[in-house]
Amino acid sequence: MSLRRTIPFLCVAAAGVVALVSFASSSLIGQARAPTGTQFPAAYRAPRLADGRPDLNGVWQAFVTANWNLEDHDAQPGPHPELTGAYGAGPGGQSVIEGNEIPYRPEALAKRNANFQNRLKVDVSNDKTWHALGDPEAKCYMPGVPRATYMPFPFQIVQGTSQYVLFAYEFTSATRIVRMNWQQEAPTDAWMGWSRGRWEGDTLVVDVTGQREETWFDRAGNYHSDALHVVERYTPASPYHMLYEATIEDPKVFTRPWKIRFPLYRRMETNVQLLEFKCVPFTEELLFGKFRKQAAR
Amino acid sequence: MRMALVILLMTTPALAHHAFNAEFDANKPIKFKGTVTKMLWVNPHAWIYVDVKKADGTVEEWMVETGTPNTLLRRGLTKESLKEGTEIVVDGYQSKDGSRRANGRDLTLPDGRTLFLGSSGTGAPYEKK
Amino acid sequence: MRHSLLFTVVGLALAAVVGLVMPTAGQGSKTGPAAKKYTAPKTPWGDPDLQGVWNDATSTPLERPANVGEKGVLSDEEAEEFQASLANELSRDRRDGGNAADVNRAYNEHWMDARRLKITADKRTSLIVDPVDGRIPVLANLSPERQKVRAVRAEGAKRFAAGLPDDYTDMSWPVRCVVRTDVPPYLPTIYNNNFQIFQSPGYVTIAPEMIHSARIIPMDGRPHLHKSLRQWLGDTRGRWDGSTLVIETTNFRADEGVLFQNANPATYKITERFTRVAADSINYEFTVEDPATWSRPWTALIPWNKVDPDEQMFEYACHEDNFDIVHFLTGARLREKKAER
Repeated sequence: MSLRRTIPFLCVAAAGVVALVSFASSSLIGQARAPTGTQFPAAYRAPRLADGRPDLNGVWQAFVTANWNLEDHDAQPGPHPELTGAYGAGPGGQSVIEGNEIPYRPEALAKRNANFQNRLKVDVSNDKTWHALGDPEAKCYMPGVPRATYMPFPFQIVQGTSQYVLFAYEFTSATRIVRMNWQQEAPTDAWMGWSRGRWEGDTLVVDVTGQREETWFDRAGNYHSDALHVVERYTPASPYHMLYEATIEDPKVFTRPWKIRFPLYRRMETNVQLLEFKCVPFTEELLFGKFRKQAAR
Repeated sequence: MRMALVILLMTTPALAHHAFNAEFDANKPIKFKGTVTKMLWVNPHAWIYVDVKKADGTVEEWMVETGTPNTLLRRGLTKESLKEGTEIVVDGYQSKDGSRRANGRDLTLPDGRTLFLGSSGTGAPYEKK
Repeated sequence: MRHSLLFTVVGLALAAVVGLVMPTAGQGSKTGPAAKKYTAPKTPWGDPDLQGVWNDATSTPLERPANVGEKGVLSDEEAEEFQASLANELSRDRRDGGNAADVNRAYNEHWMDARRLKITADKRTSLIVDPVDGRIPVLANLSPERQKVRAVRAEGAKRFAAGLPDDYTDMSWPVRCVVRTDVPPYLPTIYNNNFQIFQSPGYVTIAPEMIHSARIIPMDGRPHLHKSLRQWLGDTRGRWDGSTLVIETTNFRADEGVLFQNANPATYKITERFTRVAADSINYEFTVEDPATWSRPWTALIPWNKVDPDEQMFEYACHEDNFDIVHFLTGARLREKKAER
């Protein structure tokens, strides 16, 4: 190339490089930061099943410490630190409740505190007071909804294209059937309640009524009455996350409905599956040991 | 000539139930009329609490053990199907330990109708979705 | 005889000596009109569709009754008589036979599953189809260790049957609400004979009503759990053989009294097959083998009948309100005290 044409070429090229560099710099400066922290990609669209509904199948688990206490809680020693040291101690955690606190009716708060004091006391000697004492979790009773969602165990969603979606929980092999667009009301109360589902966009909404009044929300003794009504929302947020929200309503115990919210994580281990946590044998000595035949003196 | 049919025992340790005669006394049959105070629709056995008024006016509370409520639920009954205050007749056997507990061998209404036979009378036996 | 009273229909039938009669001569069963071959519908992802709520109750006994000889299938007339005799024997509304028999019949018939008074539609005399004599093969001799374990459990069962259990360990796993009809093979019982099958891509899930567990079965060929992991319901893997779901279960726990006839988990194998043979019927077939327990493998075939949408599953919580554990124990302590005086 002749010098005459080279110089302009080089100038243009240089200008281009300069332009490129300044463009790159300015675009780095001007570009929005990549999503960090706790923002899910906006408008995530989950893969679909054949019926066009979001596919929620998988093994899921919550990693909040809500099972210790839905509200803010510091780390705490376990119930018998003189026996177990740091084993069984509870981690600290931030509240999963919108507005931070459960809006108890003033007269209902005392029972929550009494529950906590009595969480490991059991007395099944009288049928009529069989359920009066003790955290149902410690007795290996099915935890109800929403507690089953944030127990420190995985659960599995089994979703086909029928009107039934099964939720299977590792804790005590509890299950519940979510019946889609179902009219029938709960015929009686059940430990895992009566679940009826519907879709709102990409969110699975589950309406839960008919829960046994004896379940607790957590180990802190937070509780409800037989008027409990829970509405859950499961929204896919990424290939590996689902956003969980539950609105809890019980006019006998709370002054207004309140809401909990936290992500669920897809368990990603190869060939992950639920194992068994059949805890009944772990509780029999606690519940029934005192009725044993004593050795003859 | 007809031959007797003897059905072999089907040994299934995977599912064994308590022998009722281990808990309830064949020599202590009971039959009384009482008023239902509540029914627990629970598994493995539903329980009916019955107040029985004695001749001297005192009231005894009995607990009557029944079967699995799931069978009744499938026929359209609900926890509202036995109201507090209903009079029922309990025909059964008393607990061997002498407590006021019985297995409800035959439960009827005072007019002789079997309790919980059929659907609750709410019309269609099943509410379809 | 181990006296834990058995939930099964046949167990109850034997509680009283049976005086049923059956014709000894008779035609073999008439074959009905040739059945049109049924093609099961498929799920959107191409698997045979087994979904629904299914019921396996029947009065047909597991083993062919004695004195039936080699008759595997009954004529229409014989079948009617067989069914009527069984229904009469198994009925809970009967009050005859004395108080001792009566107390065990609790409760009324309408608390029970009405389908358990019907024999299978194919009029067989046993649920066992192999061996051809319809009987469980001869039991193998137990090792001394297993004999000892079994003897200890039998002692506890005896105390329990007498109404004097020492503690909760004298009671069976079903009474303690640890497992009930959810340990395979699935056998009919007196109520709640229901199973719901769910299907999702890559899985088939079977949920028995008692006790609320779900068997979520991967169909993707992944290996079983490592043998060091043991579960009450074992660990199941599935595959399709044409239209038949074939599942194999391993990794059972070694607790005595869980597996059928106390088979030895180390040598026990169970294979189950599910084939939808009609819109409202699945053939459930299981084959079990354990050289340490039976002299040869054996197979039973139990029809499952569709009951939804009219009938649904309901929660069967068990341990949560199992008051009877306390009744048995406090009752025993009270009676011991009275006997001491």
